[in-house]
Amino acid sequence: METEQALVPHRGVPRTPDGADAGPPRPGPERVGAFLAVLTERPVSLYAAAVLRIGYGFLYLVFLLREFPHRDEIWGPGSPWTPELARQLFDQTGWASILTLSDSRPYFETCYALALVTSALFLLGWRTRAVSVLFAVVVASFHARAIFMTDGGDNLILLMALYLTLTACGRRWSLDARRTRRRASAGKGESGSTDSGADDLRHQLATSRRTLTAVLHNCGMFVIAAQVCFLYGSAGLYKVQGGSWGNGTALHYVLNLDLFRPWPELSLLADEHDVLIAVACYLTVLVQVAFPFVLFGRLKYPVLTVLLGMHLGIAVLMGLPLFSGAMIIADAAFLPDRFYRSLGRLRQRTGAEETGAPSDGERALVPPQSAPAGRGSSAG
Amino acid sequence: MREARTESPGGAATLPRQGSSKPPPLLLRAGTNAAVALCLATALVHVLLVFLHVAPPNPLSRQYSRQVNAWVFPLFEQNWRLFAPDPESVNRQISARTLHTAPDGTVHVSGWFDLSGVDNSAVRHDVFPSHTAQNTLRRAWSSYLETHGGDDRPRSERALMMQKYLTDIAADRITGHRGGTFESVQLRVITIPIVAPAEGPGPGSSAAAPKSVETRYLPWWKVTSDGN
Repeated sequence: METEQALVPHRGVPRTPDGADAGPPRPGPERVGAFLAVLTERPVSLYAAAVLRIGYGFLYLVFLLREFPHRDEIWGPGSPWTPELARQLFDQTGWASILTLSDSRPYFETCYALALVTSALFLLGWRTRAVSVLFAVVVASFHARAIFMTDGGDNLILLMALYLTLTACGRRWSLDARRTRRRASAGKGESGSTDSGADDLRHQLATSRRTLTAVLHNCGMFVIAAQVCFLYGSAGLYKVQGGSWGNGTALHYVLNLDLFRPWPELSLLADEHDVLIAVACYLTVLVQVAFPFVLFGRLKYPVLTVLLGMHLGIAVLMGLPLFSGAMIIADAAFLPDRFYRSLGRLRQRTGAEETGAPSDGERALVPPQSAPAGRGSSAG
Repeated sequence: MREARTESPGGAATLPRQGSSKPPPLLLRAGTNAAVALCLATALVHVLLVFLHVAPPNPLSRQYSRQVNAWVFPLFEQNWRLFAPDPESVNRQISARTLHTAPDGTVHVSGWFDLSGVDNSAVRHDVFPSHTAQNTLRRAWSSYLETHGGDDRPRSERALMMQKYLTDIAADRITGHRGGTFESVQLRVITIPIVAPAEGPGPGSSAAAPKSVETRYLPWWKVTSDGN
């Protein structure tokens, strides 16, 4: 139960931090109070936020590397969408991009390298807040520069990169988290309190900052959740208007598009089963339309599983791994922290069995303290 | 709520709950509350405006279209009509040929070069096809259609830009694959309908979908510069 309602904070009656049970329905004002308490004190779904960070950082890194041979053609000064055309379009649309600041090749290569490094650092969660802003700038710049080469996957990655700057996505499974843990275990008890006025104020400022961080994070996660719901909802509802989805032949046409048929033999094989195609058409529309409504119950797990299967199918059959990856990661945001924590524990347990170390707490995730330093001093 | 307590190790575990410490100054408290309210309001407004942007045109989105567009464009622009309402029911074969006028005045027109064929063979048997194969030509052509419609007279600045873009794509690819000097290029777009399933109905409501192969020749376009 504990994080069932995690992602959409405005819903449900959260238990207060001191453990008071939800129990019988409470009067309105109390519910509002409890909602505000969660909103301002507890950043929800921190693991899901970390998964989004790792997922999109990784995806963008892979994308940039995949397009390495084509980087000049897509984003560089040698693109058929010339820097001049890009700037002309920016004047019309109000976009901006760091890539059009200069037309020189070395400048472009520097930007490309910067994008690679930024994606890697974002994925690792190093100084996450600052790097997340940099990542958003990079993704927006590359997106805008090659706007006529983008598809739905790129669009989703851009939106998520923007929203993730609001979240505390570096609190879990990150280099930042490791640093905080080390510092906490190293500097325990050092913060002896001297009751001076300045200390008091600093304390209050810190509380204020914590509140704002939590609110910003929760708002960011709420917007991300709403965004994914809009995505599926509108994708489904627009399909309902199409005749080919209604008569179950839409996927026949999809399977016959030359550009989305990397394995023609496989597409042909799937295309031969018209009943299967019709079932898949109906299931696609049904699941997409249903998505926003199943999120609040147990039904979301089968629906997320169907979606996972669907996206894996799209990735392989249609040769759209980037798009599918972006969608799968977005779906993963709806899994509760409980799920990710048990994943972490599972990893710990297997890790512990391998090394024979005790498996309590988060020990296995923390590398032994000062080991590198010790080795360094003995070497020197 | 284990989450709340394990939050930010070293600090938040001892959440100061107005026990020993004095309550925060009024100004700080007011500022924090105002910021919280602002965050909430922005999030709600954002979600509402994005909804109006994504939803089909309706009285509400028409009435507030200016506000919606001002907020959503360009950063939050989105379109999730993924293969909807109907997926494309045609394949397009786009080819290009070039024209070169020799110094002595003789005109050489090259044979057709199959641009789509290059894309298709790049996609074939690739686990992760490049955007240059799947999106470049496809989206350039659909944008050209959007801005030009049936004839080839550009009526807007955007239409001219798309024409220039298509010219550049064709010129770059021909130079890359075949080389040679030329001053103009011409495109030919062959639209091949995908055959409907054996005894099934046609491609749904898209009545405009052609039933037979159509060929469209575009005008000769000057290649502006061969600098890059």
